[in-house]
Amino acid sequence: MIKIEHLKKEYDNVTPLKDVSVEIHDGDVISVIGPSGTGKSTLLRCINQMEMPTSGRIWLDGEEITDRKCDINRVRRKMGMVFQSFNLFGHWTVIENIMRPPMDLLGKDAQEAYDDGMRLLHTVGLAEKELSFPDELSGGQKQRIAIARALAMDPEVILLDEPTSALDPTMVGEVQAVIRDLATTGKTMMIVTHEMNFARAISNRIFFMDEGGIYEDGTPEQIFEHPQREKTRRFIRKLKTIELNVESREFDFPGAAQQIGTYCARNQIAFRTAGYISLAFEETVQMLLSGMEHPRIRAVCEYSEVTETAEWTIRYAGKRLDLTEETGDLGMTVLKGITSSMTYTREEDSELPNCLRLVIRKA
Amino acid sequence: MKKRFFAGLAALLLMAFLSAGAEEAGTGALPSLKELNGKIIGVQTGSSFDKMVETQLPEARIEYYNNKADLAEALIGKKIDAIIVDEPVARLMSYETPRLTWLPEYLDTFSFGCVFAKNEQGAKLRDEFNAFLDGLPAGTAESLKEKWLAGDESRKTMPDPASLPATNGTLRVATEADYAPFTYVRDGRVVGYDLEIVALFCQERGYGMQIVNMNFDGILPSVQSGKCQLAVSGITITPEREESVLFSKPYFTGGTVAVVLRPDGAAAAGGRQGDAPEGIAASFEKTFIRENRWQMFLSGIGTTLLITVLSLLFGTILGFMVYMACRNGNPVANGIARFFIWLVRGMPVVVLMMILYYIVFASIAIPGITVAVIGFTLTFAASVFGLLKMGVGAIDRGQFEAAYALGYSNRRTFYQIILPQAIPHVLPAYQGEIVELIKATAIVGYIAVQDLTKMGDIVRSRTYEAFFPLIAVTVVYFVLEGLFAFGISRIRIGSKPKKGTQPGILKGVRRHD
Repeated sequence: MIKIEHLKKEYDNVTPLKDVSVEIHDGDVISVIGPSGTGKSTLLRCINQMEMPTSGRIWLDGEEITDRKCDINRVRRKMGMVFQSFNLFGHWTVIENIMRPPMDLLGKDAQEAYDDGMRLLHTVGLAEKELSFPDELSGGQKQRIAIARALAMDPEVILLDEPTSALDPTMVGEVQAVIRDLATTGKTMMIVTHEMNFARAISNRIFFMDEGGIYEDGTPEQIFEHPQREKTRRFIRKLKTIELNVESREFDFPGAAQQIGTYCARNQIAFRTAGYISLAFEETVQMLLSGMEHPRIRAVCEYSEVTETAEWTIRYAGKRLDLTEETGDLGMTVLKGITSSMTYTREEDSELPNCLRLVIRKA
Repeated sequence: MKKRFFAGLAALLLMAFLSAGAEEAGTGALPSLKELNGKIIGVQTGSSFDKMVETQLPEARIEYYNNKADLAEALIGKKIDAIIVDEPVARLMSYETPRLTWLPEYLDTFSFGCVFAKNEQGAKLRDEFNAFLDGLPAGTAESLKEKWLAGDESRKTMPDPASLPATNGTLRVATEADYAPFTYVRDGRVVGYDLEIVALFCQERGYGMQIVNMNFDGILPSVQSGKCQLAVSGITITPEREESVLFSKPYFTGGTVAVVLRPDGAAAAGGRQGDAPEGIAASFEKTFIRENRWQMFLSGIGTTLLITVLSLLFGTILGFMVYMACRNGNPVANGIARFFIWLVRGMPVVVLMMILYYIVFASIAIPGITVAVIGFTLTFAASVFGLLKMGVGAIDRGQFEAAYALGYSNRRTFYQIILPQAIPHVLPAYQGEIVELIKATAIVGYIAVQDLTKMGDIVRSRTYEAFFPLIAVTVVYFVLEGLFAFGISRIRIGSKPKKGTQPGILKGVRRHD
């Protein structure tokens, strides 16, 4: 029902959306997730043209809404939006916020608008606030009213742009409960969120956004259990990575130790684990360098905030060289002490065919 | 709030009373003219007396005042040592204010001439006027002089200019009615020696006559620009002036004298010395009762109100329209608006008024009051524009977005969502701008409009007393400001409904409780 083709949004200095093409079906409840600055909100705001797309086309029910001749005000009436900052109209009471738009824009009569408004207020649990002004409400209440206001226009799609991000943590639950109920009504929804468990619970589809587009599009199960692509996996597992390249025998070990130290500190890795991470790198690379004339080593450390485990993946060039077999080496003894597992694999068609995985022992 | 206002006013009045009463008697003999050399001499701005003082009393310091009343007050207050005026004026000043007298020595002799524009029509009218003067019997001229220069006001009658048959068109006569006995206001009408001469001329030649009372500095420009066809206001014929305008033959000659304080305090018994309450009562009578002068104050209030209300109305509308044109960032509209606002706000309002009156509308017969309304409409529109910009700028961007996202058009968003929230933000500042506007209107005397301040000046120019006219004017300004503030506060209350009350939209809706 919503079709997006080659959508691009460019600002003076950044291009959050490079090329997005996707179809959204009736009844889809889509959570848009991804690291910050990857165009999640921009995608949402381009759909109802709060932001004008730089190029690309969007259709709603077969009508091209990016067409110049299309009356965007009419189209927007079919697309409700809920904002991070609520944006209730401060000069109107709660009931007016909900009644007036359908009266002004859809020509509903006052009685009908009032009845529908009160029904919605009951749905979001705030019927007794009908005559309050927005500045008398808490953040959570405001956001529930904002959802009711969007629903009062009876839109075909609801776009929710980080609806709980501006809320006090104690109020997130009440708003999420309303959205969760809404998701079961079959209304098409698109929600930008940072709450992974929430996204997983309410959606039938997840957009993971990165690299200027929808990086991975799949069911919650696929995205959260079996992510197909590297960045999705890192994001879902909350993996923090550092990459170091060794291309000379005169490698700057103190410099590398410094980098690893900073990385560990930034990701709040336990002090002893941090020591193991650094030591594992140094021992392994020392062992490799001793047998290499022209070293080419790429070492990547991943730390998962979820499992609190760190893992080195060290790839290097040259013929088959499995360090785990060199049991007599002093360095190997050290490594065995600080890792919980060491595996070697050989990938012949890779540029760096030797691959050593070291799982750092938990401190 | 109200209490404090009245307490402040009372304190102001009390202070003024005390200062009015605290006068000391001078002693000693009348100085000679020579002794004024090195002293401070007051002259009226736009008069030719400063040149005279420079040659006669080279050591003296000259200070400029806007009218005779200010000069007299300054002299009584000992801010200056002498005033230079023409002898007939000095005579009247001392009738009105017995504390003043004049030195018998002439600084110079002078001739008053009637002023005409330096062009073909001006020359033609000047020739007609000269012919009229030549034809005036000597007896008539003498009796005129005798009548106007005497102290008895009741004898000073002249033909009513409005009753003249305007068979050959109407002449607009510029004057500053602040130079008794030549030109002054009595019973709300401009009269005087000069004006009777002109009235006789008009009568003979079949012209209608319309007197335009304005500040002295505006008289020559108004004739040059064609706003008035001639001017009489005790204007001395000087070579310098002859460069820019045409003069008739002299219709009056006399001497210029220095007015000083009467050195002998006792002689001032008829003045404000002696029993204070009696003095105050007399002053009050002089300021408000005599010649029905309160009517002048009333008409001044009317004029000030008219200018304020019209400028307020048109300025608000204009400012709003300009804002609407600029709202969506149209670069042309914004550029033009920014230029005009820069222009209007950058110059003193009085200069703006004079530019409008003497330059922009120079060749159009347009009353000063209209020009004042145009000028203040412009300045007020600039303020309203700024206020709207500020008020709308204070509204969170999210309010626009929420309205657009619901499907409100740009226009409806502005009128239904943004403006109702912006107005309460700027109403207090708007009220302040109105007070500024009321106060600013006090300068319209420069373009021949007789507003409240000008009326106060005119009364002062007759009574030579500052106290009651100035206090009355001040009080009226405060009252007007209070009225407007009250009106705005009513709007402010009406703009946001009280918490918990039922909004109008629910009228006639069945509520389920």
